[in-house]
Amino acid sequence: MDWIETLINGALLGALYGLLGLGLALVFGVMRVVNLAHGEFIVLAAFGGTTLASLAPSVNPLLWILPVALLAFGVGYLLQATLVNRTVRSGDPLIPLLLTFGVGVVLRNLMVEVFGTDPRALDGGAFTQAGIEFLGLRVGVFPITVLFLAAAMFGGLQWLLAHTEWGRIVRATSDNARIVRLMGVRPDRVYNTVMGLALAFAAVAGMLLALRSSFNPYSGVERLLVAFEVVILGGLGSFWGAFAGGIMLGIAQLLGQKFDSNAAALYAHLLFFVILVIRPTGLAGRAS
Amino acid sequence: MAALLEIDDLQVWYGDLQALYGVSTALDEGRVLALIGANGAGKSTLLSAVCGLLEGRAEGAVRLQGAPLLGRPAEALAYEGIALVPEGRMLFPSLSVEENLRMGMLTRRAGHWTLQRVYELFPVLQEFRTRPATALSGGQQQMVAIGRALLANPRLLLCDEISLGLAPVIVRQIYESLQQVRAQGMAIVLVEQDVQRACRMADAVCCLLKGRVTLQGKADAFDHARIAQAYFGH
Repeated sequence: MDWIETLINGALLGALYGLLGLGLALVFGVMRVVNLAHGEFIVLAAFGGTTLASLAPSVNPLLWILPVALLAFGVGYLLQATLVNRTVRSGDPLIPLLLTFGVGVVLRNLMVEVFGTDPRALDGGAFTQAGIEFLGLRVGVFPITVLFLAAAMFGGLQWLLAHTEWGRIVRATSDNARIVRLMGVRPDRVYNTVMGLALAFAAVAGMLLALRSSFNPYSGVERLLVAFEVVILGGLGSFWGAFAGGIMLGIAQLLGQKFDSNAAALYAHLLFFVILVIRPTGLAGRAS
Repeated sequence: MAALLEIDDLQVWYGDLQALYGVSTALDEGRVLALIGANGAGKSTLLSAVCGLLEGRAEGAVRLQGAPLLGRPAEALAYEGIALVPEGRMLFPSLSVEENLRMGMLTRRAGHWTLQRVYELFPVLQEFRTRPATALSGGQQQMVAIGRALLANPRLLLCDEISLGLAPVIVRQIYESLQQVRAQGMAIVLVEQDVQRACRMADAVCCLLKGRVTLQGKADAFDHARIAQAYFGH
């Protein structure tokens, strides 16, 4: 029973990990840009959440998720419009990589300056502590909520991309940004929206993670590493692959914790390494 | 009255390399212009300058019903009624046949061409509407590319090498469809290496050689030898 509980909790943690990688997968899938500042944006959103929570302590922090996500959308849109688009146009993938690395460094140091280096966390109150008993298993209500939220976000994004005009434009722009202009589409604007959406997803993930564990301005690198592993495990650019990759990482981490409580993350990284050796294109990736 | 398309003393450079030298030509509403020439003659460069995809430096003038086009981006010119069937089809691989076709409707220009009419023009596309566009045969893909351009209801349709790499029977079928498009009064610029076929369909012909116009006039005004001389330069 204990093992089953570990598997379930690992899967629930993995849903959150999947969400960490969703924005990264979206940006890479559409623009072929690796956003090295993704982790810093996750942490920045968490700081945004703690700041809002301290300004209005009577409001449940969960209610700040949507406003923070909307704010993150705006930040992402502006970041893309003012900086990243200039580098995407160059056609050299190294230039946006360097730019986002620089943005990440600047953000990290700004967060140290503004918020300090003390660890922080969001207190979600009784909701984050509550659990339910089912067939002798105890599972947290908050992780289950995160699982459903993550599934809804993955499913929602997939539906948007597959069934709406916006999604069609995004996929066509990803296929051929030059030709799509002949149909009246401005690729820059598509990229702005995509980056906005990616950072909104990152913000939701950041807020949820802050409700689960502590963070400081240096936590971005750790979050980015998880997001990277999720995206690569799933297969670059595959959203459901990223979701599955996140769940596998979560399970590996909690199973590892049972063997050695000091080396939980090591088992997740080992799984990543093994799958990369067996299937370099990831779970949902196609062989080239 | 101004011609639909006017190209006046157009010169184009890619870096230090000059691709077009003072090209001038014109096309009236509802007419077909065959733009012919060997590889590297500058035909695709000329089309790029008209549809806004030119990446080089340009001087001179390109006008659509008197309105200047040169320097304006392709996404703006799509709304003005210029559509291109690009060389190599350039369909979107992650989109189905119908999704590719619907991409042509984004400018929301009203006109004769609807999805249903495109399916009537190319019935095979309706049958394969949910398939990935790039899973179709070359000829069927060319039909999707033409249909996508038609659904923009353009005033000017630019076709770049639409017969390239296709079997003769398919080329004949596609040209028959273009005759139906022409019957709706759409002006067409046909870039072709199949000179005879292009000249048979066109009202006017313009031959380029190394970026210069070597022959221009009514398509039926020149015999084979004259066109061959303009085409090859000897």
